[in-house]
Formats: sequence, structure tokens, C-alpha cells
Amino acid sequence: MKAAAFRYHRATSLDDALAVMADDDEEVRALAGGQSLVPLMAMRLSRPEVLVDLNGVDALAGVALDGGHLRIGAMTRQRDVERSPLVAEHLPLLRTAIGHIGHVTIRHRGTIGGSVAHADPAAELPAAVVALGAEMVLASTGGTRVVPAEEFFDSYLVTAVEPGELLVEVRFPLGAVPARHGMAEFTRRAGDFAVAGAIVLADVAADLTVRRARVVPMAVDPAPRRSARAEELLVGRALDDGVIREVAAAVAAGCGPVDDIHGSAAYRRDLVAEMTRRALARLRQGAGE
Amino acid sequence: MSGETAITVSATVNGRRQTFTCEARETLADALRRRCQVRGVHLGCEHGVCGACTIRFDGVTARSCLMFAPQADGAEIVTVEGLADGDELHPLQEAFSRHHALQCGFCTPGFLMVAQELLAEGGPLTEEVVREAISGNICRCTGYHNIVEAILAVADARSGEAEK
Amino acid sequence: MTGTRHGHEPGVGGVGAVVRRHSDPALVTGHATFIDDIESGGTLHLAMVRSPFAHAEIKGVDASAALDLPGVHAVLTGAELVRHAKVQPVGWEHIDNQRAAPTYAMAVGKVRYCGQIVAAVAAESRALAEDAAELVEVDYEPLPVVHSIEDALAPDAPRLVPEWPDNVFGSQTYGNGDADAAFADAEVTVSERLTFGRQFGCPLEPRGAVATWERYTNRIELWINSQSPNRVREVVAEVLGVPVSGVRVRVPGIGGGFGSKANYYGEEILCCLLSRLTGRPVKYIEDRQESFVATSHAREQRIDVAVAATRDGVITALRGHIVGVLGGEISSVGMGPVWLSAVSIPGPYRIPNLELSVTGVLTNRTPYGSYRGWGAPKATFAMERIIERLARELGVDSNEIRRRNFVRPEEMPYSNGVFATLDSGRYEHCLDLCVERLRRDGWYRFREEARAAGRKVGIGVAAFVESTGIGPSRVMARLGIAQGGYDEAVVRMDSTGRVTVFTGQTEMGQGMSTTLAQLCADELNIPVDQITVVMGDTDACPYTGYGTGGSRAAAVGGVAVRQATGELKRQILRVASHQLEVDVADLEIADGLVQVRGLPGYGRTLADVAYAAYRRLTDVGEGTTPTLQGRAVFDPVALTYANGCAGVVVEVDPATGGVTVLGYVMVDDCGTMINPQIVDGQLHGGCAQAIGGALLEDLVYDRNGQLLTTTFMDYLLPTAMEVPPFSTVHVETPAPNTPGGMKGVGEAGTVPGPAAIAAAIDDAVDDPAVFVRHLPVSPEQVYRFCNAAG
Ligand SMILES: Cc1cc2nc3c(=O)[nH]c(=O)nc-3n(C[C@H](O)[C@H](O)[C@H](O)COP(=O)(O)OP(=O)(O)OC[C@H]3O[C@@H](n4cnc5c(N)ncnc54)[C@H](O)[C@@H]3O)c2cc1C
Ligand code: FES
Ligand code: FES
Repeated sequence: MKAAAFRYHRATSLDDALAVMADDDEEVRALAGGQSLVPLMAMRLSRPEVLVDLNGVDALAGVALDGGHLRIGAMTRQRDVERSPLVAEHLPLLRTAIGHIGHVTIRHRGTIGGSVAHADPAAELPAAVVALGAEMVLASTGGTRVVPAEEFFDSYLVTAVEPGELLVEVRFPLGAVPARHGMAEFTRRAGDFAVAGAIVLADVAADLTVRRARVVPMAVDPAPRRSARAEELLVGRALDDGVIREVAAAVAAGCGPVDDIHGSAAYRRDLVAEMTRRALARLRQGAGE
Repeated sequence: MSGETAITVSATVNGRRQTFTCEARETLADALRRRCQVRGVHLGCEHGVCGACTIRFDGVTARSCLMFAPQADGAEIVTVEGLADGDELHPLQEAFSRHHALQCGFCTPGFLMVAQELLAEGGPLTEEVVREAISGNICRCTGYHNIVEAILAVADARSGEAEK
Repeated sequence: MTGTRHGHEPGVGGVGAVVRRHSDPALVTGHATFIDDIESGGTLHLAMVRSPFAHAEIKGVDASAALDLPGVHAVLTGAELVRHAKVQPVGWEHIDNQRAAPTYAMAVGKVRYCGQIVAAVAAESRALAEDAAELVEVDYEPLPVVHSIEDALAPDAPRLVPEWPDNVFGSQTYGNGDADAAFADAEVTVSERLTFGRQFGCPLEPRGAVATWERYTNRIELWINSQSPNRVREVVAEVLGVPVSGVRVRVPGIGGGFGSKANYYGEEILCCLLSRLTGRPVKYIEDRQESFVATSHAREQRIDVAVAATRDGVITALRGHIVGVLGGEISSVGMGPVWLSAVSIPGPYRIPNLELSVTGVLTNRTPYGSYRGWGAPKATFAMERIIERLARELGVDSNEIRRRNFVRPEEMPYSNGVFATLDSGRYEHCLDLCVERLRRDGWYRFREEARAAGRKVGIGVAAFVESTGIGPSRVMARLGIAQGGYDEAVVRMDSTGRVTVFTGQTEMGQGMSTTLAQLCADELNIPVDQITVVMGDTDACPYTGYGTGGSRAAAVGGVAVRQATGELKRQILRVASHQLEVDVADLEIADGLVQVRGLPGYGRTLADVAYAAYRRLTDVGEGTTPTLQGRAVFDPVALTYANGCAGVVVEVDPATGGVTVLGYVMVDDCGTMINPQIVDGQLHGGCAQAIGGALLEDLVYDRNGQLLTTTFMDYLLPTAMEVPPFSTVHVETPAPNTPGGMKGVGEAGTVPGPAAIAAAIDDAVDDPAVFVRHLPVSPEQVYRFCNAAG
């Protein structure tokens, strides 16, 4: 398990990184935390010719409040996001979601941008950024563009990032999505990727009437997507057990899981319903007080 | 394929500055083992899951099999070899031995690095917290029971001292 | 001899003492030496070209592009190998009609499982060797794949060995009494078909070897992390056609073995051969992904089990038919583990009529070999499951059935007429202790409270015996095992009075070097820290018939050390007797002195006695041979039986099928305990493997014979979160045939757990329609149990 040979470039600035990324004669890949890329390289399932190490580009790391957005640099370590007071205050879901990623040692190096760009459908952060209505800021030597999270994820490990582009920032509009969150996932062991999971956001009135809602199932579609049907079923109704069951069933009916060694599609469908139910129950806890 | 250029890397390993050349594709784990002669970095999986290769990299734990050696240029690295103070074992090393928290010892360096970080964070430790904290490390021999005991014993001794 | 444990002075660290392991300081500081730490200048590294097909003809191998790569020294293929190497021997030929399936160190002409070695590339670095391996072009012609038992036994099945009429490697039936009659007359009969998944030892350190074939002396020095250095030495000699004395096998620290490293493999042969072909030391370190296809698999079996009983639960007959899912080639242990499963099903029970059979079938899977517990976990699974089934049928508590059928201490030695002669043990007492500990730890109350609150909590118990201390050499030879079960030990006192133990056993984390030192300390009544244990070098260490495995290191190797120490002691006393002019019978060793009994302090220091024996022979009696050394060979007269009982508490989440192990009691009778802390450690580790085996670990193949679980993300080893704290209870019934009373404890932890976990899940789900028949049981399966209607 030794990686195939590649050229290593330690980027000193974003421009420097983008200049190397722009080379379209060779397969160039960005190296962030390496927690997904390096195993793939060790197994020779990924064999870039040039590796652009972003770890030295300080400008890509950090959490900042900027007008109506919380901006998180792509190279911000998952552990730093998890511990950021700004995130705790404005995006508690992110903190919860990151708490489910692997183990502390993984989160020390793994970055928010790396996880989002890697786009594993069982991963927490891709689902979380969809739920939170985040915007992905992509840069290339040709300029910068912004892609909404909902349009960012195409399918298993495939995103809107074009060759030559880097994800530089994940931008979270504040107040645009409901504040309260609930999350649940089922794993085979502590720290494993989810067999199925769900993230819900909702604004709930004192009488438990749901005003706004966002529901994102995990590990049951090729890419994280909101469940429109589930959201429709929630809005305007009181979050009682019957509604929760209905919503859970809608999520299960609307997703497209596949069989793998950790569970069949049918089982995953049942599991995602249960995880949706638990996520909503958690969200409801303390709501309406 | 081979004709790739050697890269010079300079890092502080267990307090000593080390300069070595390597191929870009060499993992930091391999470089530490083969170029820096720190053989306590063990390879149990080379894909980031077992934790045997855990080191402290610029102040926090990291899996050295998931980094390439050139990334270590300028870094401050501590491995299990850097825990003891001369001939005096680190309290965790002492406790692991006393509580029989190691059998083959292949996983032990990784557990020690993670446990050290956990203790340094200073929070109150319960069995549950310790188990969660070490759950990224695999031990095939001990069943974890005595590893948990050893870490809790050091934590208890520390809090005992703090109260004095 | 068992009395000696209290005879020594405090601080000696003899039998029964908790002695800290002297291997620890190097291990905790990162300074211990493992196989990957062995590398001399000029070493070449091997990478293997492994078959991507489960079954295929090799039409041709073109290594020219690989050889053109700078830094590549050699590429070895099967066609070349057969010019230098004989077939790999199979050590176990114990089934009457066992067939021969010649297996070489790598594929020759045909591959029979995914991952089988097709070519070996030696290059300046491992990375380069892997680059070159990718360039080796192999022309495969795929053949139909035999995926399962059903596939293998189908009348028109493709045959793995074309010369055979079918895919059956061997098959045999064992009987006692008249099972047919007992079943015909029975008041009650129950039967079940059970299956056990494919798993393996998976030590954290993969296998590795470094070979240097010295051109001018024609000697091979082979470093290898093997549990059986003497066996490896003989195999290398046999396969490569060199004298045994021309092979020196050395074993560094081993990062866990669990039976995986007790088998011998092709890779070490390839290292030796490539060293000869290149003139360089050659090193191979299996990587983790390779380990899943290249290290022996184990456990996978189909078990048909049935019992006949009276209405009050007395078992009158047992039938057990086991089919083992062997791989595409035969490993060094043949179908030994499957056979042991079959003949071990009766366990601790008195069952007069037995009909047991075993069949091994070839499939296109990785070879089947040793994993801690060997046959016992599946045998126990079968017996304890069928007891649970009978208990349900009769509406009585399964522990009641156990009690009614246990072989009682006063009935021992008890031969079941098939294989086992249960020598000692208090099986009912162990069960009582288990239940009592579960109660004391509050688990029965917890279960009731949790159930009242609507939670699904269950408790399962399983009793077991396990044949340990393998084994009586003549019995083994009669069985057809090409290896003795005895052990040789040499114990020397040097001229300064320090003692060195030389043993053929190996240390792989189980604390062997410490426990052997304790036995020696106990016998000599000297502090354990004055004893050095030397192991892992076939040039320096004595011969062990079987290596380290089969829970034999203490029960056989330990006895040899003890007896060799006894011989050394006699020599010491003889020299001292001459010096002190006191009869040997009046002398004892205490406080570092050889002194006159009843006259503490009157004597000679051990250092002085030793000095005389080596360097001042005027002080030694005429006719006494200089130097101080004892040697002994111990060959047990019979197997012994470790035994005990496990009690496991689980909670099932009916909405997900998730199973959490909350509590785990392990009662174990390993005979005399040499070091209770090490005994506990062995049990903990084994119990964790039982949890993995029951709930998590599964080597999954698809229909094309591709292994789907080749990373640690897919083959799930338990972490600290899946394993509870363990509660161990010890019973010490000395083994009557083992001087010192040890039975062995290396494997016990793995044995009853799977059965107990299965029972606990049944209990938690608490539905008469639910019965765990397959392990490992996945969350999805448990979910289906809980939601059968839906
Ligand atoms: C033992 C273990 C357990 C884990 N458990 C979980 C888990 O439970 N849940 C989970 O979600 N993840 C888990 N992970 C994965 C972890 O979260 C990774 O950190 C994450 O998937 C990738 O982030 P990274 O920063 O390490 O990216 P890298 O591995 O460096 O990169 C991943 C991919 O993204 C690309 N990339 C990275 N940054 C950019 C960028 N700025 N612009 C464009 N492309 C970019 C890379 O080229 C690469 O293709 C686990 C990993 C390990 C080793
Ligand atoms: S070797 Fe790095 S995590 Fe296993
Ligand atoms: S002590 Fe062997 S793997 Fe942990």
C-alpha cells in the first residue's frame, strides 16, 4: 500500500495553488487534511500526477462573521470548526454534525472543505451544508463563482468543482434557515460512517407548529438532497408523534438507497425513517418552551 | 515513474532537528521509521483506521500514515519515543505497564499519544469519556479493559495531586 | 508440585504472583523490535502480484516491463518457482480419506482464490516493487467460481482440483453408542441448522519475513514473525531442499498472532528464494489489504446439530454434522480446525450416544487455517444453541438443562468415546459462579427494570470446555499430525549465578517470557528479575514440537521449563553439598543462598556456587560435570480441558437492530494460574474477539469470489466502544496430568462468548419465533427479528 509517484507542490498562497491547479496537461489534485485522499492514494485508487498541498495557505483557514454570513475557510480543520464559539452561537448543527465524524485525531487534520469536496454521501458535512443552505465559493485562475450547496453535490464523490477549481470557502447565510436542529445517525461502530442518518432544521412555535423546515437524509442517496415532501408535510403542522411518523415515512419513500455489506436498501430505508424520527424528536425536545 | 526528484525535509522530531531527503510519495510514517529511526511509529493499516501510527504533529495528534513526508517540513513532531523523560517513564507508560494495558504492544504507541492528549486537555475523565477518546485506536489483544483502567488511574492520580 | 506456590518467599514472583512484564519498558517507549524494524543494508523489498480472479487458468505471465524498471532486481513466477521449490507440506493429515491438493508457495498454472500470489517482485523499495507489480502482465482465462457449500457440493459443480471427483477434501464420521436408536426412542428431539461466518485472527501487525540466503555457507537466515519458528524451519528446509541445520529462523517481537501466524505460508519461501536469486536480503511485509486475502481465514462452517432427550431434559444422544468452507488451497493445518469443531460439540456434557461428522469442501476463497479457539467457538456455539433450543421445547431454564447434563467432577476422567477425555473441572460450579456474578453485578435486576421500561435487554449464558495443552505426541502422530506435541527447555545458570531460560516458545504479547520466568523462579526460589528468557532463535533455542498455539505454551512449554529448572536445581545442590559437606537432602535455596534447612544464613551464595561450577572446579566434587544446566523434554500424556462459563448482557435496539454489549462475565478454569493479571488479560482479549466474531467481523465474498471486505472500514474490529468492561472469575482446578496443574488460557476467552451473545440476543428480543442461527449477526438481521411482521 504505497502511493503511486506524484509531484508535490506546497502552495504558498491561493494564487500559487490556483496556478498549479490550472495545469490541464496533468491530473492535479488538492491535498487538504488527507484523511480521505491519502488512503485512496495508498490503495492506488486515486493517482494524481501532481498534488497541491493547501496546508500552508493560511488565508484558506478561519471562521469569520461577515454581515449576514458566517464564512468558514475551506482549510479550517474540522476540530477548529467544532470548537469555534462563532459556530457554537450561529451554527450549532455544524458542531453536532462534526461530533459524529470519525475521532478527534481525524478531525484535527480533516478540513471542512475536504469533506465537502470529497462528497461522500454518508458523510456528515455534505448533508449539513445542504441543510444549512450554505454557498460554496469556488475559485480558479479565471475567477470566483458561488454554487449553492443544493446544486453542489452531483453524485457519489462527484461535485460541481471543475478541473482547475478549488473550493475556497463555505459561506453560511445566517437567519435564512431555521435555527433549531436535530440529528441522528446509525453506525456499525463508534466513529464509522453512517449506515443511515438524518438532519432536520425547523422553526417551531410555542404550540409546536412548524413554521419552516429543512430535512436532509444521509447515506441513502448518491448525493445529499433535501426531502421536499418531508418538508411540505411539516410546515404548518404541529410536531406531534403522528406528524413525525408521516414525515419519517415520506423521507424513506423518497430516497434511493443501495445495498452494501453493511445493509440492504430496504433496511436502509427503514433506518432512515427511524433516524428522521429521532432527529425530529431531538429537535422537538425543549422546543415550544 | 521512478526518476522523481528527492525532496529535502527538515523537521523537529522529539526535540531534535532532523533533515532528510525522501520521495514525495513517502508517507510521514515511513519517513519517520526509515529516515528518522523512530521505530515506535507502527503501521497497522496504512489507511488511517487503526491509530498505531499516531504522532503529535504541531501540537495535536495526527495519523502519520495519512500525511506525506514533505508535509512535515518545518513541523514539530513528537512520537512515543519522546514521551519518557530520559530513563523515567511517562506516568502513562508506567500505568500501562502496571495495569497490563498492553500485550503485544504494537498498538501501544498510538494509544499513549491519544491518551496523553486526552489528559492534557484536563477535563474530568469518566470511563465513558476515555472509551470514546480511544475508540479511534484498535487493539486486537487487550479487549481495552486494562487500557481504560490505566488511563483512568493516571487521571485519578493527577486529580489527587491537584487537590493536595 | 502445586503446593510450591506458597512455599517460596515473598517477592520471588513465582507462580500465582502478579509480576510486571519485563518486555513492557521497551514496548511502551517504542523501542521494541518488530519484523518491519529488521533491515540490513542492501535489503530488497517484495511486492506481490495477486490474482484479481477467484478461479482462472494462468495462460502466461510477461514480466519484461516490470524488469525494465530501474531498481527492479527480479520477478519470480510460478513457472520458475517449481524449478526450485517443492510443494508446501500440510501438517494435518488426520482425516481417513483426506485428499492431496498440492499447493505451492505461489500459484502454478492456475489460481484458486482472489489474492493468490501469481508473481513476486523484488525491488529497491516497496513502493518501487508495487510500481513494477502493476507492470507485470498476466493472461488469465477465468473459470467458473465455486462460491458456497451449495455450489461446491452441487452434482455438476465446477471442480477446483480437476483430478478429484468432487470438491470434497475429506470427510469422516465419529460415533459412540447408538445415536440412531436413541433418537428413535427419544421423548423429545430438537434440531437446528447453524452457520458461522468467515473471520480471521487479524493481528494488528501483519505478517512479515526477511530472508538472507548466504551464498558461500549456503545457509538461510530467516527473520519471521511466526508463532512456530521450529516448524517454519523444517518447512523451509523441506520445500527448498536444504538441510534443517542450514536454516536459522529468528523471531523478533510479534505484534499479535492469534493463530494467524502459527500457520506457515508461501511468502517466507518466496523471500528465501528471491534472496538466493538476487544475492540480497529480501523483505516482505504484508500490507493490511493483502492481509485480508493472504492470511488464513477461519471459522466459516455450516453445522447441523440435533439432540435427543428425555422430558426432564437429560440428553441421550447428539448428532452434529459440520461442513467447513475451506478455501481454494489447503493451508498448513488441513481441515484441522473444522475437525476439532465436530469432535468437540459434546463439550462439558455427558452424552452417551454420539454421531459426529465432518466434511471439508474447497471453494474459491482464501485458505482456511488457524484462529484462536480453533474448533472450540463453533463447537460451543452448536452445543449451547441446541441446549437453548431444547430448553425452549421443554419450557425449562437452559441452565437447568446444563446442570442435568454436566459431567460431574466425580465422574472424571470421563471419556465421551469420540475424542475428549475430560480430566478435571467443576462445570456446575463455574455456571453457579457465572450466575452469581451476573447477579452480584446487578444484571438480573437491571434486566427486569429495563424490560419494565420497555427496553429489550437480555442475558445469555454459555458453558464450555476447550481442549488445551496440545498435546500428547503419540496421540497426535496416530491422528496423522506430522508434528510432535512435546516441548524441550534448557535452563542455565551462568558463572555469576544468573539464570537464563531457553525455550522454543514465542512471545506474541501473551506474556510468555514473563510466565516462563515465573515458573523458573518458583522452582529455584530466586527472584524473577534474575531470570532471562531467550526465545525465537532456532540456532540457540530448543525444539518445540508444535510452536506457540493450542493453549500449550504454559501447559507444555511451562512444564518443560519447570522440569529443566528442577534438573538445574539438583546440580546446584550437588555442587553446594560438596562445598558445605552437607547432604543434598538437607539443602534448600532461599534468600539467594544455598543453605542448610533450619539454619537460615548458613550456606553459600548462589553466585559462589555458580562460580565454583564454572571457574573453581577444585570446589566441585570429583565426577561432577562442570557448568550448571538443566534440560528437559516434556511430552504430555493427555490433553487437558480448560473450561468455564460466560454470561453476557446485551441491549437490542428494535428500531435499528443495533446490539450493545452491556456486561460480560467470564468464569474460567485454566488450572493453576501462573500470573493472574496475565490470565485476565488473555481472557479480556479473547472476549473482545468473541464480541467481534458474534457481532462485527465478517469476510464477505460476492458471487464472483471477490472479497468485499479488504479494509478496516469494512472488516469491523471492535473498538473500546463496542466492548464493555469485563468481569472475570477464576476457578483453579489443577490439571491432573500436567505437573504444576496448568491447563492453558490463551484461547478460552474466544470460546463461549459467541454462543452466550446469541442467547442474550434471543433473550432480549424475547419472541418465540426468534432464534439466532447465524453469527456474526448483523444489525439488519436483528432488526428483522424485532420487526418480523413488517
Ligand atoms: C478513520 C477515519 C474515520 C472517518 N470517519 C468519518 C466520518 O464518520 N464521517 C465523515 O464525514 N468523514 C469521516 N472520515 C473522513 C474525514 O472526515 C475526512 O477528513 C474528509 O472526508 C476529507 O477531508 P480532508 O480535509 O481530509 O480532505 P482530503 O482527504 O485532503 O481531500 C478529500 C478530497 O477533496 C479534495 N479537496 C480537498 N480540499 C479541496 C478544496 N479546497 N478544493 C477542491 N478539492 C478539494 C481532494 O482533492 C480530495 O479529492 C474519516 C476518515 C478516517 C481516516
Ligand atoms: S497505520 Fe496509520 S492509522 Fe493504521
Ligand atoms: S496490545 Fe496487541 S494490539 Fe494492542
